[in-house]
Amino acid sequence: MAPPLDGVHVLDLSWVMVGPASGRYLADLGADVIKVESSKRIDPVRTLGPFKDGKTGPERSLSYHNLNAGKRCVAIDIRAPEGREIVLRLADWADVVLESFTPGVLETLHLGYSDLSRRNERIIMASTSLFGQTGPYAQGTSGVGTMGAAMSGATYQIGWPDREPAGPFGPWTDAVTPRFIVASILAALHRRLRTGMGSYIDAAQAEAGIQFMMPSYYEYAANGTIPERRGVAGSPLHVPQGLFRCAGEDRWMAIDASDPTDWHALRGLIGDQLRDAKFDTIVGRLRNRAELEATIASWTREQEPDAIEHRLQAAGVPAHIVSRSGDFARDVHLCEAGHLNKMIDPVFGEAEIEGPRFSLDRTSLPPTRRGPRIGEHTKEVLATVLGMSELEIAQLSEAGLLA
Amino acid sequence: MLDDVRVLEVSAPETMLAGRILADLGADVVVVEPAAGSPGRRLAPFLDDKPGLERSLTWQALNYNKRGITLELSTPDGKALMRDLATKFDVVIETAAEGGRSVLDTIELLPRVIRCTIAPFSRTGPKSGYAATDFTVMAASGAPAMTGDLDRPPLFFPVPQAMMEAGADAAIATLAGLIARDRDGLGQRAEVSARIAAMMGSFGQAIVPGSGNPEGKRTQGAMTIAGVQVPSVYNCADGFTLITIGFGPVFGQMTQRLAKWAADEGCMDQRIADISWPSFISDLSARKTSPSDLQALVDGLKSLARSKTKAELAESSRRLGLLSSPVMNMKDVAEYVQYRERGLFARVNVDAGREIDAPARFAQFSNYSIEIKRPAPKLSEHSAEIFEAELGLSKTEIQALFVAGEI
Repeated sequence: MAPPLDGVHVLDLSWVMVGPASGRYLADLGADVIKVESSKRIDPVRTLGPFKDGKTGPERSLSYHNLNAGKRCVAIDIRAPEGREIVLRLADWADVVLESFTPGVLETLHLGYSDLSRRNERIIMASTSLFGQTGPYAQGTSGVGTMGAAMSGATYQIGWPDREPAGPFGPWTDAVTPRFIVASILAALHRRLRTGMGSYIDAAQAEAGIQFMMPSYYEYAANGTIPERRGVAGSPLHVPQGLFRCAGEDRWMAIDASDPTDWHALRGLIGDQLRDAKFDTIVGRLRNRAELEATIASWTREQEPDAIEHRLQAAGVPAHIVSRSGDFARDVHLCEAGHLNKMIDPVFGEAEIEGPRFSLDRTSLPPTRRGPRIGEHTKEVLATVLGMSELEIAQLSEAGLLA
Repeated sequence: MLDDVRVLEVSAPETMLAGRILADLGADVVVVEPAAGSPGRRLAPFLDDKPGLERSLTWQALNYNKRGITLELSTPDGKALMRDLATKFDVVIETAAEGGRSVLDTIELLPRVIRCTIAPFSRTGPKSGYAATDFTVMAASGAPAMTGDLDRPPLFFPVPQAMMEAGADAAIATLAGLIARDRDGLGQRAEVSARIAAMMGSFGQAIVPGSGNPEGKRTQGAMTIAGVQVPSVYNCADGFTLITIGFGPVFGQMTQRLAKWAADEGCMDQRIADISWPSFISDLSARKTSPSDLQALVDGLKSLARSKTKAELAESSRRLGLLSSPVMNMKDVAEYVQYRERGLFARVNVDAGREIDAPARFAQFSNYSIEIKRPAPKLSEHSAEIFEAELGLSKTEIQALFVAGEI
């Protein structure tokens, strides 16, 4: 069966991460996603690694491929009148438009929702930015996902009490926000099918981040407690739960045997050192946490991480190595699930990109394809989607508008 | 937007955000809990730090806008009731236990139903039998290995995240199934891997080996450029501020403005502010600039940050268009004028006579608004109402089910 979004057209005017990642979800679901880019103003994510074999270059960024897999790409200068006209015509073709310009920019180009919906009232347009389009600080404010993390309360709480906050890895809200955008778009598509109504969706990255921090937010809002950095991994209400050093450099095992059944399994596995009666009860384990966890640590310290994970899992204890990038390549789960897809780029050759994050058993998802090169599909799209003649395309090209 | 969609959520920590996103978007969502209550009711923090089935703030935050019933799904009576109830719904969301099994395996669902199953790793395959908790799934996501300082263990989020990642992707998978059904009327089974969902936050760690690059290391958000440690978080007068130093044509301009401001404030040598920061990296290889210039920039920013409050830094950052923002704690978030005036918050009840502002509107729409229509359901709050309305059970029958411990 055809994938869920087969026949759905998406115009992706966004760049960097949140917008492109949202567009990628739609491409994974079978939509025809056309990304607009320009070699004069390339997507900044092309300057972000990992680069194939460590050699930089706009066509070598694998982050770009991972965020834009399965899309087509047209290169146009949207600030030129002819370029703007092409965007308008693509928006007429589109069911969904994605954009992540600094709030206000698209309106000055007369490509905002009011401009597009006047021509295509069924259009569903999603804008994403740090603060959204409204509110006192929204207009003109641009930002990145590290700022979203800082303003959602996440950065403050991740770190060691005796040091400055470390914050989550990477531009965290760039990973969170696409989920809320895509869910909103799909809901709007469902409604449009019944009612014909389009919609404008305005997602603020800093606000979306708060969703994943809701328990912390509620702790302040309801209890008046400002959650602080704890440093050490594992909850104070769960013991043993934490990280334990294994053999090798910077190798850690996450073990969570806080459930009494799992605790008994762990105790049975490690044996004598954990037999002391003071570890018999939850209260006993809480009161003797440091000693208990030191004992587990002495057990893990000399063992290979893979071996420990297998032993713990064989005993039924929730445990997993703290996966590093090198672990993923040989991770049996990811290999079996086919999550890493080989891609072949005409320029740099082979690499791997991630597949979709879920599966559907009836309307299968299309195979994962690499991301496009800048302007790779310009002529194809102008000819087949917009019905432009070779002459028209050649004229635009000569005028330098298709680069 | 989803007001014609009805969802049964067999409650588990991983289903909670999925159901709530769908409820926020207008679906009628009913959570199904065992008589003893969903495991989500035992998630910290608790109201006033006192535990209780109605006191989990995590439960409250992820279950508003839903109704709730209790039903034992392992008994013949529970299965029969669930089977009948599911005929009235479009979507069922559930989790798979170790080994990939779930309670709905033995309950026949209509072909039109979309069944979304969340597994820690996968329902089948090598790690389907893995014992797992949110903590161990996050360990497998690739993000913690890169979070924190190399001289200390990796850092995790202070609140469970795998359940958030999985729940959000489950909402998407479910909606994808719904769109497919809009076309041909048929449901299907969707599967979400919490581990793969959580890998989204590792920003492609999994593609590093295939790229021919060495593994990265955690660096507390600090970059090391030309041997200079460039931090991202700086101490300021009343807390911390985030300052990102970028180079190149786009981000380098921001660094240029930042350096000028620091010099104007007397925190940095004018010579450092006059360096062309967009071209710093290429100038560095051409030896037109040196690592000591970058060190001077960092030192100047440290001094600048220390002399200002979070609010002052934020105001200047907006004015100058910098990649800088206050590192907000939850009090700052709750009070932030941008969030307040934009309308992020909606009132919700957390206890008798107690309301808070919840950051409800994860997106805003031209022709829809996310509202909090009801607080999270109390245990079994809507059992009688739903069994009566959906299955036509009499008051006597419902009481009999309660007496027997089925609900």
